[in-house]
Amino acid sequence: MSDNDTDDVRTDGSGTGIVSPDDETPAWSERKERTQGLSRLTYEYFERARREDQDLRQQSDYVERDVLAFPAWPHEMMRNIALTSFFVGMILFVSATLPPEMPNPANSSVTPAIILPDWYLYWSFGLLKLGPLNPELSILGGSKLMADRTYGVLANVVVVGFVAIVPFLNKGSARRPVEQPFWAAVGMSGVIFSLTIAALSIKNLVPMDSHLLFDLTFLVPIVSATITYAVLKTMREGYMFDLNRRYYRLRPPK
Amino acid sequence: MSLERKDEHDHKGWMESRELTPIESVYLTVLIWLDRRLRVVDYLEILEDLYYKVNMQMPKSHTEQYNLDNKFWYWYPLYALGSFSTVAYIVAAISGALLGFYYAPAAAAADGSPTVAYDSVMLIMGQLNLGYFLRSVHRWAAQIMVAAVFLHMLRVYFTGAYKEPRELNWLIGIVLISLTLVFGYTGYLLPWSQLSFWAGQIGVEMSLSIPLIGEWVAQLMFGGFTLSQATLQRMYILHVFFLPFITTAIIAVHIGIVWMQGIAEPH
Repeated sequence: MSDNDTDDVRTDGSGTGIVSPDDETPAWSERKERTQGLSRLTYEYFERARREDQDLRQQSDYVERDVLAFPAWPHEMMRNIALTSFFVGMILFVSATLPPEMPNPANSSVTPAIILPDWYLYWSFGLLKLGPLNPELSILGGSKLMADRTYGVLANVVVVGFVAIVPFLNKGSARRPVEQPFWAAVGMSGVIFSLTIAALSIKNLVPMDSHLLFDLTFLVPIVSATITYAVLKTMREGYMFDLNRRYYRLRPPK
Repeated sequence: MSLERKDEHDHKGWMESRELTPIESVYLTVLIWLDRRLRVVDYLEILEDLYYKVNMQMPKSHTEQYNLDNKFWYWYPLYALGSFSTVAYIVAAISGALLGFYYAPAAAAADGSPTVAYDSVMLIMGQLNLGYFLRSVHRWAAQIMVAAVFLHMLRVYFTGAYKEPRELNWLIGIVLISLTLVFGYTGYLLPWSQLSFWAGQIGVEMSLSIPLIGEWVAQLMFGGFTLSQATLQRMYILHVFFLPFITTAIIAVHIGIVWMQGIAEPH
């Protein structure tokens, strides 16, 4: 076998058949440079992005680290493992103490007094009951543009859609609620609304006049949003006062 | 000239010349065995490259720069909610798979008599050893997952964690929360009890009230305009086949993006 040490590619199955590129073989970047159209654009963008990364690395405040923000491994993961054991134990404990009931078998001829989904769908169920808000348009001769139930389904779409586009409405680097009282107030009104609309969905269980409940469903979120806004604004004033005081203590006005 | 093939690079000799721990030598043996057949080394390079790309290099984070760890960790429980919902999801998946051994999705009728589905749930609860506990674990894991997902969304909202590099993950999160709710809904229908039946009725009416495509949606999701065997069958397949695959894949993407971008701490 010693006379077989040539560079010939053996195709009889005894080797891998993989040939290393010679000088004539175009490199990856050369191939990419020759491309046209969209792939060419992609290549150019990648080159730019790579240069951007390179520049970032050369900045003075750059530190060699694994990820942006807090590293997921091991810091996050070790804590998560501890918490996981605790949480799984909690689930087992709760399910051992509070097992579920089993209602009667399905019967299409007997409508139960209260029809309810699971608790986490109460908000959605409540949005289906917004019929009274469905405007009767005079241009249509006092009739409604869409059926009440279509209106309810649309309300669901609108709510979920609004939540989805929040990152595109609220931009900027502010993170803490104190820094953005308006959006914190919007969030608080959303939380409270999800609770009040859930209460509306089970209105036959709530010991309250249903008209009053309907009004409160929309009033309470607005009130809580106003309070949140006021509190956060005040807190921010307090912080600013503190900062200013320190500033002027260091540099007394002339 | 012997027919025996020579070890061209004499890996065995190389391994013997070094003092390897048993773990190292087993590892090398396996690696070489695989590499002789599959040329793993070529792909290892790609993997290595991928590793460095996944662990992206980014500038100093805010907590690091201003040494805010003490303040950050105070809020840590709120930062574990995403993990918590994943944990609950896994618990629900395991207990659900076990329940699936005994559950049969067949509804003969909706006239108040126990159906096959109802009976199989009753069997799990009454006859099966630890069956009641199993169902309880599945149900509570689902409830807790939904609750954790809601709270997770609130934490992300109020700490502004959906902002700039993370908008896409917020959108994926919206998809995930919707899938979680659909998961809960389809599961709620499976025992085919009174509550299941009337919740299903609401579902049919909701899909029927969608303009233009309403009837089509009702046919697709509920197998008709009235609840029947087809409804239960579809809910079952959604619950144990479609949703698990889709949700698991999207959760993996969601967590992968968090891994790449890091966890956003409040500034």
